[in-house]
Amino acid sequence: MAELFRPGDQVRASRSDPPHHTRLPRYARGATGTVLECQGRHPLPDRRARQLPARPEPVYAVRFAARDLFGDGDHTVTLDLWESYLRLAGLEGMR
Amino acid sequence: MSEDHAGPAATLAARVRHLEALLEQRGLIDARELDRSLEAFLARASPANGARVVARAWLDEGFRARLLSDANAALPELGLSMRGGLQEQRLKVVQNTEQQHNVIVCTLCSCYPIALLGPSPTWYKSPAYRSRVVRDPRAVLREFGFELESAVQVNVWDASAETRYMVLPRRPAGTDNLNEQALAALVTRNGLIGVAPA
Amino acid sequence: MSRINDVGGMQGFPPVEEEAGEPAFHADWEAHVFALNQALLRHGVYNLDEFRDAIERMPPAEYLTSSYYELWFRAITVLLAEKGVLTEEEMAGG
Repeated sequence: MAELFRPGDQVRASRSDPPHHTRLPRYARGATGTVLECQGRHPLPDRRARQLPARPEPVYAVRFAARDLFGDGDHTVTLDLWESYLRLAGLEGMR
Repeated sequence: MSEDHAGPAATLAARVRHLEALLEQRGLIDARELDRSLEAFLARASPANGARVVARAWLDEGFRARLLSDANAALPELGLSMRGGLQEQRLKVVQNTEQQHNVIVCTLCSCYPIALLGPSPTWYKSPAYRSRVVRDPRAVLREFGFELESAVQVNVWDASAETRYMVLPRRPAGTDNLNEQALAALVTRNGLIGVAPA
Repeated sequence: MSRINDVGGMQGFPPVEEEAGEPAFHADWEAHVFALNQALLRHGVYNLDEFRDAIERMPPAEYLTSSYYELWFRAITVLLAEKGVLTEEEMAGG
C-alpha cells in the first residue's frame, strides 16, 4: 500500500470529533497544512485504544501556519498525523 | 482505604506499594526486576546524553548531517540509542539556525525523548506550557527569559504520534577554543526542548 | 473527542513555572508508578493508547488538579479494574 501523500502536498485535517481516543488535536481540525515527510507506518491509535484490529498506516509530519490554526501568529506548528486524519486539500470526499 | 494521617503523598505512596504487592502476588510483576529496570533507566537516560550529541554535532559536520537525516542511525556513534521502552522510538533532531528557531511540545499528553533524555520536567507536562506554546511561543520563551529576535521564524513541533523530537541549538559565540566536553557543559535540557538558546 | 487533555491553543492557563534543579522524580512512589506502568505495558495488560485513553477520560476537574503521576496511578487502577485483573476493593484495601 503506497503512501497517499508526498512532501509538499497540501492536506486538510479531518473536522470530525470522534467519541473516543484520538491523536488529532482539536486546534488542527479542519485546517490545511503542508506535508513535510512520511515518518513511517503505525496502527491508528483511535482503533488501538478500543482494542480493534489496526493495520499500520502512514504517519506524516504536517506543517501548519499559526494564522491558519488560530487566526494570528507568525510561527508554524508541525503535527504528526495519521493518514486517516488527512485528505488532499480541495479534494474532500475523494480518496 | 485506611486513614493515613501523614498526608496525601504518604497515602499515595502506601497505595502504590499495596498495588505493587498485589500485582506481584498475581505474578504480573517482579518487584526486584522493577527496581533494577528503574535503576538502569535512570543511569542510562539523562539530558547529558543530549548535550553530548549536540556538542559532537557542533564539532563534526559529518555527524551533524547524519544526525539530522537519521538520528537513530547516528546515536550509536556515541554509544546512545532511543531503545529502552517497548520498542525503539524514532528521534527527529531539528536544527536551530540564524533564521529558524525550533520548540518542542506534546499538547495531548507529554511525549518526549525519554529513552535518551530521561523524564521531562514538570513544566513540560503542564497544561500551561502545552496550551500556550503552540499559540504564542514567543511569549512562553519570554517566561524562560529568552527573547527571540522578531526576524527569527519560530517552528513549534507538536509530537502527536510516534516520533520524538530534540532541538539542536546554535553553538554560542566565542566557543571556538572549547573541546567537546566543555561544549557539552554549555547545553541544557531547556536548550534541547527549545526554551533556552543552548 | 475534545477531552480535557486536548489543551493545545486554549487560552487562560497561567505563565509556565519552572522548578529549579528539578529531579527526575520527586518521590519514590512516582518512580514506582512509572516503572509499574512500563511493566504492565510490556506484559500486554493494556496498550499505550488504552493507557492514554484512561487518563483522558478522567473528570476534567480531576485531570487539572492532579499531579502527573497521580493521573498515571489513577489510569493504571482504572484499567486494572476494567480488565478484571484486580477489583477496586482489593486496590483500596491494605
